[in-house]
Amino acid sequence: MEELFGSLVQGAGILFNPDTFLLTVLYMIGGLLLGMFVGALPGLTTLTAMAILLPIVFFLPPIFGIPFLLGIYKGGIYGGSVPAILVSMPGTGAAVATTFDGPALTRQGKGRKALEMALFSSVAGDFTSDLVTIFAIVPIALIALAIGPPELAAVLFLSLIVISATGSGAFVKGLLVMGIGLFVAMIGQDPIGALARFDFGIFELRSGIGLLPMLIGLFALSELLLSIEKRAATYIKAGAKALEGERLKWSEFKASGRTIARSTVIGTSIGMIPGVGQVVAAFVGYAAAKNASKHPERYGKGELDGVAAAEAANNAVNGPTLVPMLTFGIPGDNITAILLGAFVAVGMRPGPELMVEQGPQVFAILLAMLLANVLFVIVGYLTIPAFARVVRIPKSILMPLTIMFAFAGVFAVRNNPTDLYILGAFGVIGYVLRKFRFDVAPLAMAFILGPEIERAVGQTLSLSRGDLFGYIAFERPITLVIIILTPVIAWYLWRRSSKLQREASALAPPE
Amino acid sequence: MRRTFMKSVALGALMLGVGVSSALAQDNFPNKPITMILPLGAGGSHDLNARVLTSILPQYLGQAVIVKLVPGASGQTGTAAAASAPADGYTLLFTHNFYDQLQQHVKELPYKTTEDFVTVARTNSARMCAIVRSDSQFKSLQSLFEFGKQNPGKVELSHSGQWGATMVPAAQLFNWAKVQVNMTPYRGGGPSLRALLAGDADVTFQFPSTILGQGDKVRTLGCVLDEPTLGSPPTFASLGYPGEIGEMHRIVMAPRGIPADRLAKLREAFVALQEDKTYQRLISRLGEDSNLMSGDDYEKVRVEQSKDYKALVESMTSG
Repeated sequence: MEELFGSLVQGAGILFNPDTFLLTVLYMIGGLLLGMFVGALPGLTTLTAMAILLPIVFFLPPIFGIPFLLGIYKGGIYGGSVPAILVSMPGTGAAVATTFDGPALTRQGKGRKALEMALFSSVAGDFTSDLVTIFAIVPIALIALAIGPPELAAVLFLSLIVISATGSGAFVKGLLVMGIGLFVAMIGQDPIGALARFDFGIFELRSGIGLLPMLIGLFALSELLLSIEKRAATYIKAGAKALEGERLKWSEFKASGRTIARSTVIGTSIGMIPGVGQVVAAFVGYAAAKNASKHPERYGKGELDGVAAAEAANNAVNGPTLVPMLTFGIPGDNITAILLGAFVAVGMRPGPELMVEQGPQVFAILLAMLLANVLFVIVGYLTIPAFARVVRIPKSILMPLTIMFAFAGVFAVRNNPTDLYILGAFGVIGYVLRKFRFDVAPLAMAFILGPEIERAVGQTLSLSRGDLFGYIAFERPITLVIIILTPVIAWYLWRRSSKLQREASALAPPE
Repeated sequence: MRRTFMKSVALGALMLGVGVSSALAQDNFPNKPITMILPLGAGGSHDLNARVLTSILPQYLGQAVIVKLVPGASGQTGTAAAASAPADGYTLLFTHNFYDQLQQHVKELPYKTTEDFVTVARTNSARMCAIVRSDSQFKSLQSLFEFGKQNPGKVELSHSGQWGATMVPAAQLFNWAKVQVNMTPYRGGGPSLRALLAGDADVTFQFPSTILGQGDKVRTLGCVLDEPTLGSPPTFASLGYPGEIGEMHRIVMAPRGIPADRLAKLREAFVALQEDKTYQRLISRLGEDSNLMSGDDYEKVRVEQSKDYKALVESMTSG
């Protein structure tokens, strides 16, 4: 422990070295701006930007190169929530929960407030989780190792239950839409044997339905179709005086303090599950906030607290996600894989030896992450007015522009023309579902989590070698506990949400 | 003063451009950027290799090389796109041997890799090693084989995905040793390593650069070739395994039917690239080596691979 503290102090010495500190800050700001830019434009992903720019890092000293990449990473995650808030266009699964309230706020002329709330809650969640990561890196590493396929399957199943129990609208309708999402996710190859299924003999469907065309079709395109139908009257509220809207008030941020704290705890815990962490965290954080709120009926109609809940949760995942990479050299997803490549390139080979041999360097990087958050508040705050100005663009130009970005962005990701048809199809599917008052979020969620659950269950079956019950009962105590808790938590949540809904409908005047 | 300096720089650049283009005017290839299709996603090891390749290649080709990621359906989407591109040398495919030669024995494909593509170069290869945890009861591959023969299906193996880079060599090795192991696929090499460290798996296959980072937490039982960085563990050949095993070849292919002079030009560029100091430095920073194999030589390897993989798939799927 003392040794770790010594490394921490030395790490601070490396980062705050007066000779290099200013340049480190400049590289980081450059990374943040670049990340926000690629994150905000659909089709340009943070991942691609990092892959393309990785060779630059080979030529830079570690204390500049790594912060530069960290800047792109952090900026990219926030950048993704900008189009989600302004034009209901989530660029990643992690931004889906932000579209529940963000676009509604924009339409009410509160786009700037929503962007600022997203920024501050993101940074608050991120900063806290980084801090926790620095002081609890060893226990987090042990937990990460304890989460295998059976635990992952149980946690994902529990998340699905939690989210659907607190969803909006009729429960049966939610299940139905979720079923569609699960089926759509099965098109292509199964995650265990890589065998083609449900492709209807069409080669183009063998690669499955892409996440981005599905998300943008379902959320952004369907929104546009609905607006066109209503002659765009609702796309952005007409006649709002200051279109960029007011700034976020301190009192409003403070009012969401509890939500941000709760989402941070949720995000940090879920962050130990690699890969799907961000998506699950945002959904669960949102569901928990709605469940705890005195006014759950406001959620999904432009509740500032909803933006805070989703954004704090998905950013709080970032700290712990890096732990398996740093301590075992195991990247959980492609972004951490690129960071791993960058570390190796600058002479730090992540793994058990790294903390022993190069502890100070590791802590210098962790401290750089904290610094990135501080810089991000400043960079973000200064750039928001530029983003918020988007709503000033006349609707007759903004709407075609959004459609253009949707199609161009979707094509840019995989260079696959099939994705354009998929985008169009999901635009129509989203439109029809919304017309019949179905919530489309369960579709997206089931689509994202379905394959993860299928893979985890398949792996568990393989690991159990035919004796599933015995395996879970005697060799997987954590899984057993989660499975036993699941119906209890579901029952509690269902009771609570139906009680709140009854109260709300009793209070609300008949429509 | 400053303006004249800028002017002379611009003039120099212009003349350089003229010089390059006049040198190429003889056969006029390439006179526009070349597209290199990757049937794989962003951020993987092929992507990173491609970024290094394409940052140096223009020096030897006189034209930019653009990476185009077309992932999907275990490489089928991108490979199909490259197969249907004109055979004029302006579209290349950067893939690996499992997509190139193994997949055809497992799946019905809309193209025939051997007939549709010819090798430009094998840029390098990554070689697998078998590892166990350092507290494992298995001290050698022989002891693992013995235990596995007496306890069929008891040995748990984690790998990076069905018919992928770590599954195939493992299947080849245990198939040859007549040991029945329980194989569980994970999403990539990282999660399959986690399974080993967490005790979910008994044995897994990894690249030497990954193993090096694990220090004394894992024990290397054997590698496909001699790996001095890992203390030269036994090679699979020294155990008696015949033939090629466990290498993932990164290969640049061109649609077959490409004019011979253009193919020759591309092949030359890759040979020249191999000697480039910057290329060598960048590629080693990725933890990769730069052991080029010429297109001609690799064409012979492909034929052998196809036979081996066919036999492997038949023995694995027949029961």
